[in-house]
Amino acid sequence: MRRSELHFDAVVIGAGTAGLVAATRLAQDGARVCVLAKGVGSTHLAPATIDVLGYAPERVDAPGAALEELVAARPDHPYALIGAGIVSDALSWFAQIVPAGPLPGYVYGGSLEHNQLLPTAVGVLRPSALVPETMANGEVSGLKRVCVVGTRSLRDFHPSLCAGNLELAGIEARAVSVDLKLERADMNALGLARHFDDEKWRRQFCAELSLALRAEEHVGLPAMLGLRDPHEVLADVEHRLGRRVFEIPTVPPSVPGMRLYEILRAALRGAGGRLVLGGEVVSSERDGDRIVSVSTNAAGRDLTYVAPWFVLASGGFASGAIELDSRWVTRERVLGLPLRGVPAEGEPRFVATYLDEQPLARVGVAVDGDLRAEGADNVVVAGASLPGAIPWREGSGEGIALASGYRAAQVIGAQVKPTAATV
Amino acid sequence: MVTLSTEILVIGGGATGAGVAWDAALRGFDVVLVDRRDLAEGTSGRFHGLLHSGGRYAVKDPRAAVECIGENRILRRVAADCIEDTGGLFVTTPFDDPAYADRFAKGCADTDVDCEEISVAEALASEPRLNPEISRAFRVPDGNIDVWKTVWAMAHGTQQRGGRILPYHAVVAVHREGDEVSGARVRDARTGEELDVRARVTVNATGAWAGQIAEQAGIEGVRVLPGRGIMIAMNHRLVNTCVNRCQMPTDGDIIVPIRTVSVIGTTDQHTDDPDDHTVNQAEVDAMLDDGEKLVPGFRKARALRVWTGVRPLFEDAKAGDTDTRDVTRAHALLDHAERDGVGRFFTITGGKLTTFRLMAEETMDAVCQQLGETRPCRTATEPLPGSESGENYVLGERLARKEASLIDEQMICECELVPRSRLEEAITRTSSTNLDDIRRQLRLGMGPCQGGFCIYRATGILHGHDGMSAEQADRSLTEFLQERWKGVWPVLYGDQLRQVRLDDWIFQGVLDVEHLPT
Repeated sequence: MRRSELHFDAVVIGAGTAGLVAATRLAQDGARVCVLAKGVGSTHLAPATIDVLGYAPERVDAPGAALEELVAARPDHPYALIGAGIVSDALSWFAQIVPAGPLPGYVYGGSLEHNQLLPTAVGVLRPSALVPETMANGEVSGLKRVCVVGTRSLRDFHPSLCAGNLELAGIEARAVSVDLKLERADMNALGLARHFDDEKWRRQFCAELSLALRAEEHVGLPAMLGLRDPHEVLADVEHRLGRRVFEIPTVPPSVPGMRLYEILRAALRGAGGRLVLGGEVVSSERDGDRIVSVSTNAAGRDLTYVAPWFVLASGGFASGAIELDSRWVTRERVLGLPLRGVPAEGEPRFVATYLDEQPLARVGVAVDGDLRAEGADNVVVAGASLPGAIPWREGSGEGIALASGYRAAQVIGAQVKPTAATV
Repeated sequence: MVTLSTEILVIGGGATGAGVAWDAALRGFDVVLVDRRDLAEGTSGRFHGLLHSGGRYAVKDPRAAVECIGENRILRRVAADCIEDTGGLFVTTPFDDPAYADRFAKGCADTDVDCEEISVAEALASEPRLNPEISRAFRVPDGNIDVWKTVWAMAHGTQQRGGRILPYHAVVAVHREGDEVSGARVRDARTGEELDVRARVTVNATGAWAGQIAEQAGIEGVRVLPGRGIMIAMNHRLVNTCVNRCQMPTDGDIIVPIRTVSVIGTTDQHTDDPDDHTVNQAEVDAMLDDGEKLVPGFRKARALRVWTGVRPLFEDAKAGDTDTRDVTRAHALLDHAERDGVGRFFTITGGKLTTFRLMAEETMDAVCQQLGETRPCRTATEPLPGSESGENYVLGERLARKEASLIDEQMICECELVPRSRLEEAITRTSSTNLDDIRRQLRLGMGPCQGGFCIYRATGILHGHDGMSAEQADRSLTEFLQERWKGVWPVLYGDQLRQVRLDDWIFQGVLDVEHLPT
């Protein structure tokens, strides 16, 4: 055996929600698991709410029920392959690992019974099934009067536009801008979140802000209530301001998304799984209908990962794992697997109206009913690599990621025989 | 109805129309300029950005070459701030007729286009991405010109001299008094209000649309055949010199580096409708192949966007009836008194961006002659506002400004280095709610992310300005998203598709703009 060969029970490709969930579940079942990823996944870009089904295409109030309808109406949709029951199991599992994670007291709330409607940065009320506690007070039913607070230093959040559209939605809303007296004109949500982790800085912020607040107003802030201990930061800010406070997701970088990533990563580590970032898969070896190994050249060292099972959770076009080249050829770049949903030659790939459904949007790796890749029996596919969904329009990205990651581990778990890894 | 009285009414706010207005204002005339849309939104704003040396025409159209090099030298002085002196190269690729190079050198010598043959090694050393198989290379004084900056500089200069510039004012009727044109009625596209402009002379500078305006004046046979061409902007400067194929003018024969991108152009397809902006897949594929011929690996670079422009190609249905003494092959000046017996009305069309100043000069010379005025042209010596120092634009200009105010200035558009103060100033100055208008002045959203990050920021700032309503801001945001998409999707592949998918997540996922209340 070559020194550069590593053996695992399962190798997961991709460190987004789907990949981390699949790996954690496998590790929890006793498998030796390694996650290989080019970099962090889409967690850092997304609001970190768990959106199961927001639009179908009208706004969904009860995602659990709507899911059943979707599964019946669209047998090609990832949810139809996963099954509604698994979605529910995956959400319950997730709700349990969050409080056991590295952020003390931080929890997600909600269920498949009702979507919660939370303001986006442009003041649209967006539906989510589970939301972190830092956003929960923004739920529209509890929102009568709201003061949306921003700061000029944060170019990625404009409170007046948010408040203006909330007003149009019938919520009494106004905007306030706080002068943070920072040394520089620009700071993103991540930089501000680091400030919020500092108790002294919070005290000053709250003292400044409380002067501008009116009675019985909730306070909506861009999502920046700390990275290390958001539960405590929220409680402290609410206590100092004497009112309910909630976070509103901003354009990337997403602070709540980074928290979610930390939670999932800690769960994986806690279960004994390995994570290699900067471990882009550059080649793979096949034996007939099976993938035998994948190779990376992280840190200038070629390493080959051998496993009986692989999970492909490398994402779609956004991550670059699926590519459309300048000669209009579409391919899956990691393992060279066949795709589904590619418009036929001569058919349009895109349409002229931006907000219409784009024909290329549902492309993903072709799979069977067990999420196994066509032509590669030991590869299970999860997350945005799956075909059939338009998660950014449906409001289904994290739901699919979570449930398909969970399901992928089930499919493999039934068949894995733990072995000793050899280095 | 409000009536404006003026001496010169200019219809059309492209480079030619703005040039006529500027020329007239410098001669001391009172001027009103109207355009149905924003300034330089038509053909002028839809080309590749080349300031011709004349080399392209040295063999095929020597007169055009002479005009181009003459104007090139003038514009480098008077529009210095709008021009980047990139220099140009004509290179013989394996796909070109090798015999053309000697004809090219002779053509340049005959037309006074500065041209120096350099060794292939020197050409490749200065432009390392060039096709290493080239066999000849010539240096010429090509450059690039920021047409929006140029046109707005002329507009501001005109305004400073009392002229009135009215974008978004479409002509609804051209006034005829007997056998003379006396002005036009225009409608404000934003308010719907109409306005009468009474003028001593009306100049039709509407390029490919000139026939339509002439018809409104009751004049027939002004036939302008729109020649539609596509251009594709690549996400960075693949070359830093304007690189031309040394052969007879053809499709996809030039790459122009301009600002942060490089633009390959162009094609030529006749169309009946100057507002036809269809992009055909086959044209895109052919253009990418042409790019490979000049810069191997071209297809691996990110294509940001594609657009079409319509050249006005004049074909006078009354040819022979009119005295074409002042009409060069490159552009056409029609004195409708001579041509049609309709006084106080001129049409200037055809031509190319590089010669807009000359076209304006000839037009105003003819206007002065008809009015019996002796007022010499001053545009060849008077610098445009902003160009007084005579120093050309350099690529690092915005970066240098950014570095000077590193921590004090907020950057709204990182791709094109547009700071918040510049955006706020432009919003105030244009009093426009249309982010696309602001884009043309600042290049906001024109870089690799095509507005992925700056559109939301700019909308927020726009909304905070002068109590604009949320409905208006929402409209500005969604319209700009659609406007950007228009040029993106026909060339969407590779890493640019990754970028677009990220933008989809931002706008449709994080912000959920699809469900804005308006």
